[in-house]
Amino acid sequence: MSAILVGPLAVAGIAAALALVIAGLDRVLNNYGVLTIRINGGKMELSVKGGSPLLSTLAAEGIFVPSACGGRGSCGACKCKVLSDVGPHLPTETPYLSPEEMARNVRLACQVKVKKNLDIELPEELFRVRKFAARVERIRDLTYDIKEVLFALEGQGIEFDPGQYIQLVVPPYDKVPESVQRAYSMSSRPSDPHHVELLIRLVPGGIATTYVHKHLKEGDSAELVGPFGDFGVRDTPATMLCVAGGSGMAPFKSILYHMQETGAYPEKEIWYFFGARTTKDMFYLEELRELSASWPRFHFVPALSEPRPDEGWQGETGLITDVLDRYIRERIDPHRGFEGYLCGSPGMINACVAVMQKNGIGEDNIYYDKFA
Amino acid sequence: MKDTIQHKEAEARMRTGAITAQGFLGDDPRPVAEIVEADEGEFRRLGLVFEIVAAELERLRDAGEGGLGEPVTVDGKWLVQTGDARGRLPCPYGDGIHHKNSIWVRRVDSGEALVYSDLSIHLLKEHHFLQGRGSGFRLEPHAIKRVLGL
Repeated sequence: MSAILVGPLAVAGIAAALALVIAGLDRVLNNYGVLTIRINGGKMELSVKGGSPLLSTLAAEGIFVPSACGGRGSCGACKCKVLSDVGPHLPTETPYLSPEEMARNVRLACQVKVKKNLDIELPEELFRVRKFAARVERIRDLTYDIKEVLFALEGQGIEFDPGQYIQLVVPPYDKVPESVQRAYSMSSRPSDPHHVELLIRLVPGGIATTYVHKHLKEGDSAELVGPFGDFGVRDTPATMLCVAGGSGMAPFKSILYHMQETGAYPEKEIWYFFGARTTKDMFYLEELRELSASWPRFHFVPALSEPRPDEGWQGETGLITDVLDRYIRERIDPHRGFEGYLCGSPGMINACVAVMQKNGIGEDNIYYDKFA
Repeated sequence: MKDTIQHKEAEARMRTGAITAQGFLGDDPRPVAEIVEADEGEFRRLGLVFEIVAAELERLRDAGEGGLGEPVTVDGKWLVQTGDARGRLPCPYGDGIHHKNSIWVRRVDSGEALVYSDLSIHLLKEHHFLQGRGSGFRLEPHAIKRVLGL
């Protein structure tokens, strides 16, 4: 019996000894000590412990570069310029970078390890980004698959521009073993800095949306990171053509109520086209009709693509792009020029851009945040 | 059957947290080679052909994209909705990178639905891998037959 055990025990002993040697070598070889990250030509300098990815190293210092995949290298959002030589671009980075970005030393912060002192460039607005502790104050069903979630921020409030987005930190749950972050446009108003409202549509198989729809409850704690993004109203007299569907409503709700509340951009006429399939998919209808009735420069055009005969729908019908095309050609005064503001799927954005360009609106005057 | 070494290498990348937080295997304890072999057998028994199923899933996706993010009725039989997320996902077998999306196809008559992505179509067509049981994007052969009506 003991002779039978000698072989396996010897193998196990050798494996354990090798593991100890590897662990020891790892501790020596991968000990990069304390390093310096110099940001934007020395405007900020961080002393950090080396050896971790740049993304998490910056986050540990309170600088949050946007990331939708938690540093797995699959979203391509955490781009930043690394001026120091950190070797060639990795195969995990190249699918997300254009040749121009690669030539300018743009890297994915999650794929660059901090092994030496680094000189990097980050957009100044990222210094405004913070992590907020929050509590879920209210969850409301807007449709069968869209929830309005209101978070009360604990401590300091948030300063943001209407149209910006925030990342919701989803904790591990069910079969999801690790925390992930997902980006959602804020539908709340900047005038209430102690609340953040998000509109979240259930995506079948989606980690974050399933968490919000099936697990998150009023009173739960949550974490939010933001604000991010540059989607917002341009200061010109041009008429705004806003187009959205589903949860793409969120940034426009924030923008519209902010403009109405503050009287911002008083010269602008605003046309808001909102598409849904049936009345079951439509929401905020009464609220926006009331806003339109009380605010002369705001025009709300809801449209259904597949209205059922029993719904008694009196509004516009057809794909929102067809309705938009018809209004630009026949209904809206063109003399101030147009600006396009879009929020939705890449397919919807591409289709709207095509309609706008066909009607003479240059791509430079069309603004969107395409999640693709 | 494919070389099991190729499946084994892919299996490591299919685990939770490697390419996606949830992984591709759900709570299926079987090795990937065994999952593929079992599903190939099920396809044969049901008279399904991988290339034809993939083509139909692609056709429904393309038709669903016409809804511009909203659900759309296709051929009077299916309600299809497509959603997009930021980023791309590499195939665990290392042969391509796919746009991160989610396609939902529901039969109007029975209400039975399939959920898949561009990567699911590629895995089905090129690797005969329908994901492990319990995975959110698992495509059950019987459900494919009923929902697509093949």
